Amino acid sequence: MDLDLDDDQRALQETVQTVVAKACSPAFVRSVIEDSVDPAGWWSTMVELDWPALAIAEDAGGLGLTWIELAIVLEALGYAADPSPYLATTTQFAPIVRRCGDADQVRTWLGAVAAGTVGTLALGGHAIRATSVDGGWQLDGRVEHVVDGDRAGEIAVVATAADDVAVFVVNRAAAGGSLTVAPIPAFDHTVHIADLSFGATVVGESRRLAGGDIAAGVAVAVEEATLGWSIATVGACQRILDLVVDYVKQRHQFGVPIGSFQAVKHKAVDMYVAIERARAIAYYAALTIVEDDPRRSVAVSMAKAAAGECQEVAFQHGVQLFGGMGFTWENDLQIALRRAKLGAAMFGSTSDHRRRVAQEALAG
Amino acid sequence: MKLQFPPEAEAVRAEFAAWLDANTPPQQEAIVRARSTADSPPWARRFQRAMFDAGWLMPGQPPEHGGRNAPLLEQFVIQEELLRRRIYRSFNPQGLSIIAPSILMFGTAEQKQRWAVPVLRGELTAALGMSEPGAGSDLAGLRTRAVADGDGFVVNGQKVWTSGAHHADFILTFVRTDPDVPKHKGISVLIIPTDTPGVTRRPFGSFCAKDDLDFNEVFFDNAFVPRENLVGELNAGWAVTTGTLGEERALLWLTNYERIDDTVRDFAAHVRGTPIADDPIVQDWYGRVVVDATALRLLGYRSVAKMARGEDPAELSILKLFGSEAAQQSANSALEALGPAALDRDRPTAPFNHMNNEHMSSSWFDRYCRSFAGTIAGGTSEIQRNIIAERILGLPR
Repeated sequence: MDLDLDDDQRALQETVQTVVAKACSPAFVRSVIEDSVDPAGWWSTMVELDWPALAIAEDAGGLGLTWIELAIVLEALGYAADPSPYLATTTQFAPIVRRCGDADQVRTWLGAVAAGTVGTLALGGHAIRATSVDGGWQLDGRVEHVVDGDRAGEIAVVATAADDVAVFVVNRAAAGGSLTVAPIPAFDHTVHIADLSFGATVVGESRRLAGGDIAAGVAVAVEEATLGWSIATVGACQRILDLVVDYVKQRHQFGVPIGSFQAVKHKAVDMYVAIERARAIAYYAALTIVEDDPRRSVAVSMAKAAAGECQEVAFQHGVQLFGGMGFTWENDLQIALRRAKLGAAMFGSTSDHRRRVAQEALAG
Repeated sequence: MKLQFPPEAEAVRAEFAAWLDANTPPQQEAIVRARSTADSPPWARRFQRAMFDAGWLMPGQPPEHGGRNAPLLEQFVIQEELLRRRIYRSFNPQGLSIIAPSILMFGTAEQKQRWAVPVLRGELTAALGMSEPGAGSDLAGLRTRAVADGDGFVVNGQKVWTSGAHHADFILTFVRTDPDVPKHKGISVLIIPTDTPGVTRRPFGSFCAKDDLDFNEVFFDNAFVPRENLVGELNAGWAVTTGTLGEERALLWLTNYERIDDTVRDFAAHVRGTPIADDPIVQDWYGRVVVDATALRLLGYRSVAKMARGEDPAELSILKLFGSEAAQQSANSALEALGPAALDRDRPTAPFNHMNNEHMSSSWFDRYCRSFAGTIAGGTSEIQRNIIAERILGLPR
């Protein structure tokens, strides 16, 4: 068992971190939050660098790399509180197309993603009803808390058709007024979340994903989406720790750096251990996806649980160790804190995933 | 990244598993039980000797020291196989994992033959004389004094927590040989046979039971130790405390992993199919324990891989800190989840395994209590946090 990045992956990690530090700098992220600067330019940069194409197969126009490379980018973006639609596009839209689409659909939409199309996943389940109409399907119902629901060009909607699970790729522009978007002002200002209401939205038959066992495909795609948030959370927590470590080294009280006090050190170490723990499991889960290992589903729940536990420690100790300075708007700590905390709410809570892990183990 | 071990390592695992199938003593041979960590019963000594002769006992060592010059990854899968079967390699664990390797690393050729090899073959047992009443976390502050006298040393002072000393044949004893230099620079290491005149051992009960006798106070009253028993250079003993194990340090986390993995398995076996298994609160903490066990294994694998590549993994302190605390929480969680069902102090929590210590199947309360060995012995969690903060996070001293 080898859980270390290889040389190519390490080189990618370095490149990604360098690019992100420069092009998605704290000042840029702050300008998105405070001045509503459009992050579209940053998204274009990533598309030029082929980052959305990393884990897409070569015959669909991608680079044919794996979830490990994707995880490297996701972690760096979580670290920077990336305001782009990268996460939803690569870990929600792309997986469901790949898992549920037929060969043509996969080539079409993953090719579009590789070329810069923004997508997302709306997990409607029973809340979205699909009925057969002439030449296609009509969707009705409402889905809450869709990531990038307000800016994705293509929305993969998981719906119920008769009694079966079905997935439709809705084009925002084509849906026009039949799709109502209600953005949610999430506590993380850099993330887009919206509720979507479909009112007699008509989609053609070719937009119903037709790649075989749809229910099974949805399950795996949801696992990938869950892992995406887990890794982004680890990145955000690492950012919190880095800020804290820098701060406690330079902040002096009683004539010494506060980082020399054991009470401070021990909290910082607890953050560090929680991050190492969560990161190890997250990359392990990514590896189970790459190798299509039967432990995948539980590994993903472990990753989400560990990331959730990690952000609890990182948030709590992060603010506490910064003292009053961490309580200001102008300190970048708050940006990382928000990103870390938001992930915990998405695709199952920390406790949900812990219990899932337990149920699997106790069922034996 | 790969999920599997290389085929060479798996081949070694299979070979070892077959050897264990053929050579593990049956339960009826193992009626006599160990009373301390230096009390290896005759059947266990025979098994340890068989492991030694077959090169499985200390796989990283050469054959004359009970090994087969196995690379670290193979050492790891061998230990993992023992752990999976809950087999103790030796009922004198400190002899096997600390004392014999220290002598092999720092001792003379004669010391290796006379003391280290017999410990490995199960012919002698040993105890480790480090802590003193005034020297615990601050080990370098130890005061047991050894004064050169003719062709040896006269030792005076006291050790404490010396596990198994009352059954051990000798004590690897850390003594002060120069009181006039900075404290780390005046320490030496002596092999002191326990039948030396002037050595008195007094075992005392642990908080687990009055008759749980493993800890000892050891008193040295003008005990004469021949010069040939000095391990390493005079006044260079501190190196022995820090450099004892070489690359096998990367496997120490397995002790805590064993504890937490046992809790995962034993608790599941205990509650599976009962209403407790459906309790969402129980599931919530149990899920965390399973995550902890997995994370420890993954972080441990990573350290093994780094060490195998010749890198010195900085995170060994993390494995000690995280592993011992997670193991402790797991035992406490099991104890609390079971409520009155865990009251009976004699009720075993796992099937009796004659190849292992009774502690491994004792009550959840007992297992929780014993888990504090992990967070206190060998550098407390607080000391580990200081080390990680300073060496890894770079915080000022």
